[in-house]
Amino acid sequence: MPSASDTVRAPRAGLATALKAVGLLALVVAVVTFPMLAANPFILSVGVVIMSYAVLATSWNFVGGFTGYMSLGHASYSGLGGYATGLLVIHTGINPWLALLAGGLLVAVVAVPVGIASLRVRGASFVIVSIALVLIMLLVFQSWSELTGGSNGLRVPRPFGPDVLRPEQHERFFYIHAGLLAVALLLWWVIDRSRFGIGLKAIREDEDKAQALGVPTFSYKLVAFVISAFFTALGGGLYALWFGFLDPIFQFSILVGAYMVLMSLLGGIRSLFGPLLGAVIVGYALEFFKAEYGDTQFHLVALGLLLGIVVLFMPDGIIPALTGLVKRFTPQASSIREVTQAELAEQRRLGQAGEEPPGGPGDTARNVAEGARS
Amino acid sequence: MSLLLQSIVLGVLLGGLYALLAAGLTLYFGVMRVVMIAHSAFLILAAYLAWWFSTETGIDPLVSLVATVPLFFLVGVGMQRLLIARLRPATMTMMSVLLTFAIALTIEGLLGYVFTGTQRRVRLSYGGGDFEVLGANIAVVKLIAFGLAAASLLALFLVLTRTKFGQALRATIQHPEAARLVGINTERIAGYGFGIGLATAAVGGTALSLDSTIYPSLHWHWIGPLMAIIVVGGLGSIPGAAIAAMVLGLGQSLLQIPLGTTWAQTFFYVALFLTLMLRPQGFFGGRLAQRF
Repeated sequence: MPSASDTVRAPRAGLATALKAVGLLALVVAVVTFPMLAANPFILSVGVVIMSYAVLATSWNFVGGFTGYMSLGHASYSGLGGYATGLLVIHTGINPWLALLAGGLLVAVVAVPVGIASLRVRGASFVIVSIALVLIMLLVFQSWSELTGGSNGLRVPRPFGPDVLRPEQHERFFYIHAGLLAVALLLWWVIDRSRFGIGLKAIREDEDKAQALGVPTFSYKLVAFVISAFFTALGGGLYALWFGFLDPIFQFSILVGAYMVLMSLLGGIRSLFGPLLGAVIVGYALEFFKAEYGDTQFHLVALGLLLGIVVLFMPDGIIPALTGLVKRFTPQASSIREVTQAELAEQRRLGQAGEEPPGGPGDTARNVAEGARS
Repeated sequence: MSLLLQSIVLGVLLGGLYALLAAGLTLYFGVMRVVMIAHSAFLILAAYLAWWFSTETGIDPLVSLVATVPLFFLVGVGMQRLLIARLRPATMTMMSVLLTFAIALTIEGLLGYVFTGTQRRVRLSYGGGDFEVLGANIAVVKLIAFGLAAASLLALFLVLTRTKFGQALRATIQHPEAARLVGINTERIAGYGFGIGLATAAVGGTALSLDSTIYPSLHWHWIGPLMAIIVVGGLGSIPGAAIAAMVLGLGQSLLQIPLGTTWAQTFFYVALFLTLMLRPQGFFGGRLAQRF
């Protein structure tokens, strides 16, 4: 079916694809070679932390990016994933990687009732529940010390034997995190291209219209939410296995959730690689500040100001801003919003001359999503 | 028996403060559809200002209200005009959450930076005073805090129901477009609504400083229960928020007897989840609450 956004694209598609392939290749090479280029184990461990942030931010983006529902409490799922993995390893003695997967699935199951409670109405309740969940989890895991070790923390056994030294550990975990990130990115990309993804993006742009067009909004939102919780839990579990120690204060910290939001928003929640880019920038800045100035109250102020600035002046993130800049210099960019009424009428007339009637419901939904992406 | 009575009295006293603060949150939500995460951060800020004022000058912290209430009102108007109103209407609810969250973090960080993370407490000559009613022990400071909250809430109620400004404010909450059509300057009214909301935080913070130990990250302990209250009451309904605050405050206080203080806090969150499961629009919310 012809839509206004299809018509102007075609000529430069080949070049764009090639550029994209080169960029992707460069990214893969950079990730693969990083452990070899890292000067010392500390730099390598910073790399692992940034990778972990990238996994968490990308997982957050399944719900934040597609549906526009901003969860401030995704630390609940990473924390629960970490504790589930750790406790399963300690108490049942099963293979740590199996425990990781089981922990992720467990958290996904927990996320279902939470999602049902918070997604039935619109955004405000969703945010409130997400914050409340972090606070309640912090309370429970601090108080229930027989199981979780309370404020003393929980020591998680390392998955690799004692003969694997620290730098080697970092390297392995770096690659495992990268693998998980690749899976999450791939799934995001697939959803982005699917009918499901179009429905989700229609919800983001206008939930009432999406519903009117027959998108099953509630179940779509719920599925996206559970996928997001699952990957976040895997990220949290992987971090637990790497770091080997869990403290409720840091696991169920509202700040961790805020980092995920800031990273995704800064990079661009509508782009595949936005959260990754944001994680690299914010994660590096965080580690830099920690190494230079230690843990002061100043990082709260910096985080707050940065988040405020991004929300006010750059809510679409870096990647859309940059691509917008590049598009200025290319011939006529392709966006439905830049098609004038006259052009559209002309296309309609031509479309009618051919046999297909213009603009069915599916078409409109796609236009909404396409217009939104550009 | 006296333990039960004691809990009821404490619950009501606490519920009064919750009710005032929840009313403020409801105002922001009503006029701008904004979930104001920074509300409790401003609450703690006001408590710190009251503490700072009283330690520097030796005067009763209640006097600081003279300065903080107008100051917070102006800050609220400024915040609505300069920050919140700049956000795109389509993503207002979500982005305003992030923006006010950012403000909360900044305030917490600055408080920790200026006053350090040390726990602070106002020293009052009548701080330890209490009296007995029917076997229940009532601390004087808690009663003052309650009195302050109740008086402010009453004033707010009278302003909203008896004045022209209150009518305009309620009209803006109910239907902004219709309010504009009958000639109400809804943008200005929304600014004032925001200012009044923040003024409740000033009053609440001063009341809080009387009988609580304060520290910068304390606001997270307040925002959770307050959020639960406005959802249970129905987003946008001030009487609903006040009633929910009383019921939940009382419930928390009563549950402390069998469960202990830590687990009793979970009551708010259980109430929040049950409300969203059974009646997502809250118990007193109208048309407005159903869409958010």
